[in-house]
Amino acid sequence: MTIGAAEAGLGAGVGDGRADTAAVSRRASWLRPSAGGWGGALIRFALAVALPLGAFLFWELAVDSGLASGRLVPPPSRILATLADLWTAGQLADHIASTCLRVLLGFLAGAAAGALAGSLTGYFRFVHAAVDPTLQALRAIPSIAWVPLFILWFGIFETSKVVLIATGVFFPVYLGVSTALLSVDRKIVEVGRIFRLSGFDLVRRILFPAVLPAFIVSLRAGLGLGWMFVVAAEFMGASEGLGYLLVDGQQLGKPDQIMAAILIFAVIGKLSDALLVGATAPLIAWQDNFSRGGL
Amino acid sequence: MLSLTGLGKTYAGGVQALAGFTLDARPGEIVAVIGGSGCGKSTLLRLIGGLDTPTTGTVSINGETVEQPHPLINLIFQEPRLLPWLSVCDNVGFGLAHLPRAEQVLRINEALCRVNLEAYGDRLPKALSGGQAQRVAIARALVTRPEVLLLDEPFSALDALTRETLQQHLLDIWSETQATMILVTHDIDEAVSLAHRVIVMKPWPGRILDEIVIARPHQRGGADFDQARARVRSALNHSLSASAPADIRKGRAQHSSVLETSP
Repeated sequence: MTIGAAEAGLGAGVGDGRADTAAVSRRASWLRPSAGGWGGALIRFALAVALPLGAFLFWELAVDSGLASGRLVPPPSRILATLADLWTAGQLADHIASTCLRVLLGFLAGAAAGALAGSLTGYFRFVHAAVDPTLQALRAIPSIAWVPLFILWFGIFETSKVVLIATGVFFPVYLGVSTALLSVDRKIVEVGRIFRLSGFDLVRRILFPAVLPAFIVSLRAGLGLGWMFVVAAEFMGASEGLGYLLVDGQQLGKPDQIMAAILIFAVIGKLSDALLVGATAPLIAWQDNFSRGGL
Repeated sequence: MLSLTGLGKTYAGGVQALAGFTLDARPGEIVAVIGGSGCGKSTLLRLIGGLDTPTTGTVSINGETVEQPHPLINLIFQEPRLLPWLSVCDNVGFGLAHLPRAEQVLRINEALCRVNLEAYGDRLPKALSGGQAQRVAIARALVTRPEVLLLDEPFSALDALTRETLQQHLLDIWSETQATMILVTHDIDEAVSLAHRVIVMKPWPGRILDEIVIARPHQRGGADFDQARARVRSALNHSLSASAPADIRKGRAQHSSVLETSP
């Protein structure tokens, strides 16, 4: 082989290598959240639901063919029938509404208190030294431990439930905001100082935008805990709500009702998170994010 | 007129970064400050910029003592330090919040034109190259029309070609604004080609070792330029080998040879 031929061969090899790399990146490109078009969105959605749908189908067939009894773990068709029954009886919407309202109120109260406390401890060293250790100790208390005390303090009705949820939401938001403020890059704070910003202006124009991404992540974590704590709250003796459906299903031996309630928790939990992400995405579009390539 | 009198800074823990630094910079003068790492160059700029308080001595501008960031002094950092959530326009106009909107727009456009970025106003910093980002940072400092511009190795992170372009930009800006500039740099060529006066600093603690007046105008590569460069290099070599504890001096020797071989 002449040198020219060797170079040509090498060139072809390199060319092929590039083509392979391009093919891999093409193959994976629709997975990126930024991949546009309905086609990409549809493929991502199909990939996301493939696992749960596959599991449902497997269990449905297993019960249908008599391989499993489906008494304690009812097949999806029975769960859907229970959902339809609850919906036509007019109860389901009320249960969902009361649970959502409790989460919303608890989330708003907990997030506001968490953001305020996080801001104060993150901004003022003295407040941090005086308050943070106590809050960290309180954070270590398991949520259920508060239940008896909250019932004594706030009664059995709505207030105690909302306070419990707010407690759950408070800590991740507090920790997120406080930590983010303490770790704002000194270099951009100096930019503010060189332009003679101080006090409220420094907070509004530098610190708040700088901690916004971490604040939003902490809100998402808080909302997730809000959905967790609403179950504990509704175990305290609610007469309606998805948590009540769980307790009722356990006491009356209705696993299909329990699973129906769990399914709704999964769906509205995911929906509320998507709503929060969607609503806040424009606020943090400036971030120079790492976009994952490849599978 | 920028006056520094007996300026010194000792950090907590007893580290003396700067001692007895005295300098008067005439209006419109470009003073380059050069020296190895740790000789207090950045500390000097932080003190003039009002970001740190001097332990001894004073900084004054037009007779007024500077104790905190001053409206007539602005600082361009080594990195652009743009605020990532603001567009190029909003970054440039960051220091103009006190002015009416129309005046802000006017000044922002003027500054963006000066750095040839008028078409980039709506972009976010993440969409800029390193050189463009540093030009935005220069525009942000210029827009407040400072009398004194402090530059802390502003081109050190850029490639050679971009660096030369931006150095030329800076000279153009200087000829239009006639701002006093204090330029901290590691680069002998940069110091000699931009400044009217080069101050060579000596470490532990940082103080003035030599002061070299550069005849202007001169052309890069000309005889005057080479002569001035040789003088600065010789002073710098002296600075890097002098007064260091033996173990540090050993590390410095390597650093010195790097500087000597730089173009």
